[in-house]
Amino acid sequence: MLVKISSAAILGLDAYQIEVEVDSIRGLPGQSIVGLPDAAVKESRDRVRSAVANSGFEFPSGYFTINLAPADTKKEGPLYDLPIALGMLMVSEQAPAREMNGTLVLGELSLDGSVRPVNGILPICLSLADKCSEILVPRENADEAALVRGLSVIPVRSLKEAVGHLSGKAIIASHKVDIDALFQDEPEYGIDFADVKGQGHVKRALEVAAAGGHNILLVGPPGSGKTMLARRLPTILPSLSLEEALEVTKLYSVTGSLSGKGSLVTRRSFRSPHHTTSDIGIIGGGRIPRPGEVSLAHLGILFLDEFPEFDRNVLEVLRQPLEDGKVTISRAHSSLTYPAQFMLVAAMNPCPCGRLYDARNACVCLPHQVQRYWRKLSGPLLDRIDIQLEVPRLKTEELSSLPAGESSAQIRKRVRRAREVQVGRFKGKRVFSNAHMTPRQIKEHCPLEKQAEAILKSAIVHLKLSARAYDKVLKVSRTIADLEGSDLILGRHVAEATQYRSLDRKGGEF
Amino acid sequence: MGIESFEQGQKGEEAAERYLLQNGYQILKRNFHSQQGEIDIIARDRDVLVFVEVKNYSFRSYGSPLGAVRKSKRESIVHAARTYLLKNNVKDTNCRFDVLTISRHLDGSRRIELYKNAFFIN
Repeated sequence: MLVKISSAAILGLDAYQIEVEVDSIRGLPGQSIVGLPDAAVKESRDRVRSAVANSGFEFPSGYFTINLAPADTKKEGPLYDLPIALGMLMVSEQAPAREMNGTLVLGELSLDGSVRPVNGILPICLSLADKCSEILVPRENADEAALVRGLSVIPVRSLKEAVGHLSGKAIIASHKVDIDALFQDEPEYGIDFADVKGQGHVKRALEVAAAGGHNILLVGPPGSGKTMLARRLPTILPSLSLEEALEVTKLYSVTGSLSGKGSLVTRRSFRSPHHTTSDIGIIGGGRIPRPGEVSLAHLGILFLDEFPEFDRNVLEVLRQPLEDGKVTISRAHSSLTYPAQFMLVAAMNPCPCGRLYDARNACVCLPHQVQRYWRKLSGPLLDRIDIQLEVPRLKTEELSSLPAGESSAQIRKRVRRAREVQVGRFKGKRVFSNAHMTPRQIKEHCPLEKQAEAILKSAIVHLKLSARAYDKVLKVSRTIADLEGSDLILGRHVAEATQYRSLDRKGGEF
Repeated sequence: MGIESFEQGQKGEEAAERYLLQNGYQILKRNFHSQQGEIDIIARDRDVLVFVEVKNYSFRSYGSPLGAVRKSKRESIVHAARTYLLKNNVKDTNCRFDVLTISRHLDGSRRIELYKNAFFIN
């Protein structure tokens, strides 16, 4: 007798249907799994054996052949345990065999017969929603699966429950989540800009960066609050839309980092990989390419602390996703594209010892050490960073006397308004924020007032701004004007924007 | 193997046979030999052909008796089972490997346990 049960496999952020075919022949007892299973799939044999026995069923006798069709793609992960076990029970007539068209079954089995959560449920549901009407998922994944409308999601806790549902003896009600309720509140971050005392100019620069999607480099001595400020950047970004949230959730679902975050990721992500992270860890990779840090930071912040300490090749691989907003990773197995639209926030010390330009402590680095430290950052990379800023150390008396600043909610309001202006401006174009304007768009959208033009000219002369810096200043001025709601770029906007070119002012190096 | 332990083995297998009969098994053959293996008891449990390995254990043995049916032993049992199926032209019949353990206590009493479906061919 032969039983077919539908399941799914993931490729990148998409999924395709898998048929789990279970057949038994009479003879010596045993089983084999074919259809290019990886180690986790092969091991399902032992899990299924225990789970079946511990669920009050009898492990069927006979030789079982389990085929995962299509047979030419590699299957990985433990998500076929449940369909295999169900198939074996149906073949041995311990569960009624029925037509399984339109029903998808996924789940890892524990030895005691309970169903454990698996990765990638959301992408599977999104990709296969039109091919099936019902999906059996582990209870822990039900919230995630129910985000897809028009799909009957059956949460199962154990093999026994799954058999009960399919036989019609104990039908499980389909699981529903209220998507609108998930979106009602502003996301809760637990941190706020009001926590940071002083550093008014850095907060302002972060606001500008958030408003225009500009990448930003913070340079300051250790303990000046660079990390603390950067961590609070997601709190002033506008909340994710449902579409964006689904996209981010998909990435988290595939990498299995969704647990503990609820079913839907409504917060913007903040990723801060350590500087020993490899280029594959940053960009993604592996035999079957998996998303890396740039993709997990999609629509959020990628924070690189100790920027020059990263390997040179790690920094260089950032260039392409910074430009395109996505990464394509090619391996022998397949070539996959993951989204990677993130804001880069980099932090570094001005020199290896960190005390250069510190008013109270003398720097002990030799000039060539400082030079070598800065040389790690290539021109093309710095080119993609619009705002460069010094973060000075606060004096003790400032720390105790300064009042708390504005709350994140207040700043977020202004940022949202500025973003709305930009969305209107770039409607129908493939640009979403000022940071991504092309040179032609800069000419078109950055009309300068007379005084502004004069300030920019004198800045070029006196601060020796390069041609590259000229465009950056214009882009940032555009964002500052948007924050103020001004169509024309005024003198004060340009004046502020030139302040954000610390590196250029100091000739490419502090 | 001393004559004493051989006798113990014989007694054990007799006890095993009685136990199986009580459990509704129909004994087909005792001590079936092939070139590379041996099966202690071949029986029929309803429509399933059962190959039973009998393990004798004194109270002094360490660990579970089942643990002593190691890979090489399992392989030799499987080999013998295949030979039996071939020789007797058995087809289209479900088979099973059971292990029956007999533990002897100091007072001479025996405890018999039957492990159905103890192992599989892989």
